[in-house]
Amino acid sequence: MGEKLLVTSSPHLKGPKTVRGLMLDVILSLVPASIAAVVIFGPRSLTVILASVVSAVASEAIFEKAVKRDVTVNDLSAVITGLLLALTLPPGVRLYVPVVGSAFAVIVAKQIFGGLGTNFVNPALAGRAFVMAAWPLQLSSKWVAPFTFDAVSGSTPLAVLRSGQTAIPSISDILIGNRLGSLGETCVLALLLGASYLIARGVIDWRLPAGYIGAVFAGAWVFGKSGAYFQGDGLTAVLLGGVILGAFFMATDYVTSPVTGKGRLYMGIGAGIVTILIRLWGTYPEGVTYGILFMNLVTPLIDRFMVPRYYGYVHDVSLRRKARAAGRRA
Amino acid sequence: MVNLRRGFGGVKLPDRKGLSAHAKIEDAGIPAELVLFLSQHTGAPSKPFVKVGDAVKRGQKVADAQGPVSAALHAPTSGIVKAIEPRYQPVLACMVDAVVIEPDGKNETVEGLAPVATNLHAVSRQKIVEIAREAGLVGLGGAAFPTAVKLTPPPGTVIDTYLLNGAECEPYLTADQKLMEEEATTIVFGFRALMKGAGAPKGIVCVEDNKPEAIDAMKKAIGPFKELDVAVLPSKYPRGGEKNLIEVVLGREVPPPPGLPLNVGVIVSNVGTAYAMAQAILTGLPLVERVITVTGEGVARPANFKALIGTPLSYLVEKAGGFSGTPGKVIMGGPMMGTAMRGLDVPVLKGTSGVLVLRKEQSAPEPVLPCLHCGKCVDSCPLRLLPVWIASYAENGYLDEAEKFRAVDCCECGACAYSCPSRRPLVQSIRLAKARIAERRRAAAAKKQK
Amino acid sequence: MNGKRSLLHDFTKGFIEENATFRMVIGMCPTLAVTTTVVNGFWMGIAVIFVLTFSNVLVSALRKVTPDQIRIPVFVILIATPVVIVELVMKAFMPDMYSILGVFVPLIVVNCIIIARSEAFAYRYPVMNSLMDGLGIGLGYTINLIVIGGIREFLGTGRIVLFSLGSFPARLLFDPMAVMLTPPGGFVTLGLLMAILNLVIKRSESKKAAREAAAHD
Repeated sequence: MGEKLLVTSSPHLKGPKTVRGLMLDVILSLVPASIAAVVIFGPRSLTVILASVVSAVASEAIFEKAVKRDVTVNDLSAVITGLLLALTLPPGVRLYVPVVGSAFAVIVAKQIFGGLGTNFVNPALAGRAFVMAAWPLQLSSKWVAPFTFDAVSGSTPLAVLRSGQTAIPSISDILIGNRLGSLGETCVLALLLGASYLIARGVIDWRLPAGYIGAVFAGAWVFGKSGAYFQGDGLTAVLLGGVILGAFFMATDYVTSPVTGKGRLYMGIGAGIVTILIRLWGTYPEGVTYGILFMNLVTPLIDRFMVPRYYGYVHDVSLRRKARAAGRRA
Repeated sequence: MVNLRRGFGGVKLPDRKGLSAHAKIEDAGIPAELVLFLSQHTGAPSKPFVKVGDAVKRGQKVADAQGPVSAALHAPTSGIVKAIEPRYQPVLACMVDAVVIEPDGKNETVEGLAPVATNLHAVSRQKIVEIAREAGLVGLGGAAFPTAVKLTPPPGTVIDTYLLNGAECEPYLTADQKLMEEEATTIVFGFRALMKGAGAPKGIVCVEDNKPEAIDAMKKAIGPFKELDVAVLPSKYPRGGEKNLIEVVLGREVPPPPGLPLNVGVIVSNVGTAYAMAQAILTGLPLVERVITVTGEGVARPANFKALIGTPLSYLVEKAGGFSGTPGKVIMGGPMMGTAMRGLDVPVLKGTSGVLVLRKEQSAPEPVLPCLHCGKCVDSCPLRLLPVWIASYAENGYLDEAEKFRAVDCCECGACAYSCPSRRPLVQSIRLAKARIAERRRAAAAKKQK
Repeated sequence: MNGKRSLLHDFTKGFIEENATFRMVIGMCPTLAVTTTVVNGFWMGIAVIFVLTFSNVLVSALRKVTPDQIRIPVFVILIATPVVIVELVMKAFMPDMYSILGVFVPLIVVNCIIIARSEAFAYRYPVMNSLMDGLGIGLGYTINLIVIGGIREFLGTGRIVLFSLGSFPARLLFDPMAVMLTPPGGFVTLGLLMAILNLVIKRSESKKAAREAAAHD
């Protein structure tokens, strides 16, 4: 037998999930929302999405070449960053917004720190925060009327709620997406479809979005109505704005969310609390971006304290007593 | 019926047992050379008392147990002691002294080998422990812990349950499965002997649900015995690991190292060990052979052999039809915890339960990507550890933090590395940390003694 | 204290090797605050050159008689002198610029650059060297401010207004970024410029090392 055998450490079997596979799953789960965006807001949505994705991939490739690292666009993480950023932008936005935003997201929030696995906040949200600060007008007025594709400069339902009026679309309109809003946040049904695919495939942990949505719901329900408690509309608060998009697709970014199940739950709750705080008492009508960004920064702290009870360290006194008794029974 | 608890972690592995599940146990025969390592069990090496040139017969003792935790060694067939020299021991990965026997083909059994009893009432508890010691019995599940020592826990410990481990949770391996299907009654006899030796009143046979015929055979075999029961486990890896098994079947948790199952009143043994115990009582034959699965997509005819201890792997692979395709990896043991071999010229040890040959296409190493902190390793660890942090600290040399995250508790089952999408070598890093921590502790203890 | 230093080297090291903003990373607060336009940065830089050179010369001249234990308060007094001069001159001849730069002019007294150079250089070396050091570092700092200010003003307002020569408007592909005029934009600009400079220096150093290694063979 002249063949050379490979000697590696155990285990010698590798699981079916790969990085590329996980990224593909995420992209697939965002397809319904992207299609919905094109259907509701017209072909311009596709241009925005493409501009964002191309810019993200190109920025990553150019930067990695410039600093002489391996080009890693194959792992599709830049594609996801571009796609997610596009879905948070208004449909009528001028094209330099997604291009610059994606470049910032990929280069400054991810590549400068070391590439995949080293971003300290969600790159897409970092890009969004940057373009929000750079071109506030673009992000607050370039709306497009659903299904008629006319440019509109009115206010989104969230802004309407913020100003105290109550004329917001019906629940069915909200679910289908018949309202003003960003590309990806309007068609809640499409988002939920993608989210259930992600949970079914085991890509994301359901505890994070559950905590997030639960916290937003509870906060809006308890404090939503000014002057009275427990009379707010929790459901509308959850369905409007970027909560669904953020909870399932943004907050669940692996690198910036905790490693343990309980930790993820707490991160979701924390993000929900910050979102509600900003929405109700902050200066922006939408709090998802900064809610998630804030909890991204808190994640290392959560990881530090969320250490599970290891096997064998039986803290419960009665269990310990029973175990000892079983070994000593005469 | 036994009430099962929901264990933590674990991964669902592809079964792949179909390759050898239908192969009845066959005799492997006698190879040209048998290599018996003096150290193939947990504990001190055995001390040989034969010399080069001695003639030995099957079942004849060639080395004695040295110290309280050690085991005896016997010649598996008749022949001449060709040499007593260092050979490469694959699991310890170093040169170890071995008794090399050249069989003469006559397979004569040593005089005086006779059945001890056919009925458990005729043997006392002490006699059972003595038989286990004289027969060189060790745990055949892989760790090869001397059975006689296991049956005599420290004074004051009371064992209330004995678990018979027939889970065989590793993919590809079917040795225990076939043994249960074909020799259920003998296994139960051996199990009851072990229980008597330990003084345990209750015994549970644990089998995974992917072996229906074995479950039926064992259920039938324990029929008349009221103190025995069968627990059917869902097939998740590594439910067959000792610690996990005790948690799922009995709901108890073994204390961390140096804790042992006896601290919670339990002893666990493999079905192979029970079978060997039965053989030692019913026929007087010591531990000289065992059932091994030779399987994998890389062998032409996967089979379950009853092979002599010390048979070279090359002999077994040839008996299994030789290679099929280009071999990439040869693994001693299962794919999750087995050791990859450098060549086929290593012998079967007492603790070897299988030989797995994987093709070149299956064994190609994949590129390692950065850690994504996805947490899949944390979700899959059966001991609820945090492999992600232990491995990171180990890779960067932070031994204190690795120790704080309980690197020493890791059982190296491999579930974490299996689930890692970035293909990071988690088990390797944790093993490195464990080795360095042990080294550091030894150095500190040595310094204290001065 | 140690031999004869090259005066020219003391002057030129302030541009890249000991660049105040990007290599020594000192005096960041006024850097970020005044670089919203090129003009602001320029005048701040001029003020710093004057103060730095003047105070370096004073500190160096008095270094032999300044007790070690009270040297920092002595530095502050010596630095305050040129700062007051600058303040009064600016108030008299450039009141608009003085009101734009605001509190950062008197704050030059505690500007880390000035104190750091007093402590690390002027206190140990002769007067001529300290003079060159002050000029070099100050000039380098002024160039930093102009570059950062240029980028921020250009991206933030779409044009650069340079004194009374008129403005240079730009046909931009995109609208001006409001964020550039705010602290976050300043930080990002600063960080990226620092990264680029470090990359360039590292590449040139490795090229030099490779050339030296090749020469040795």
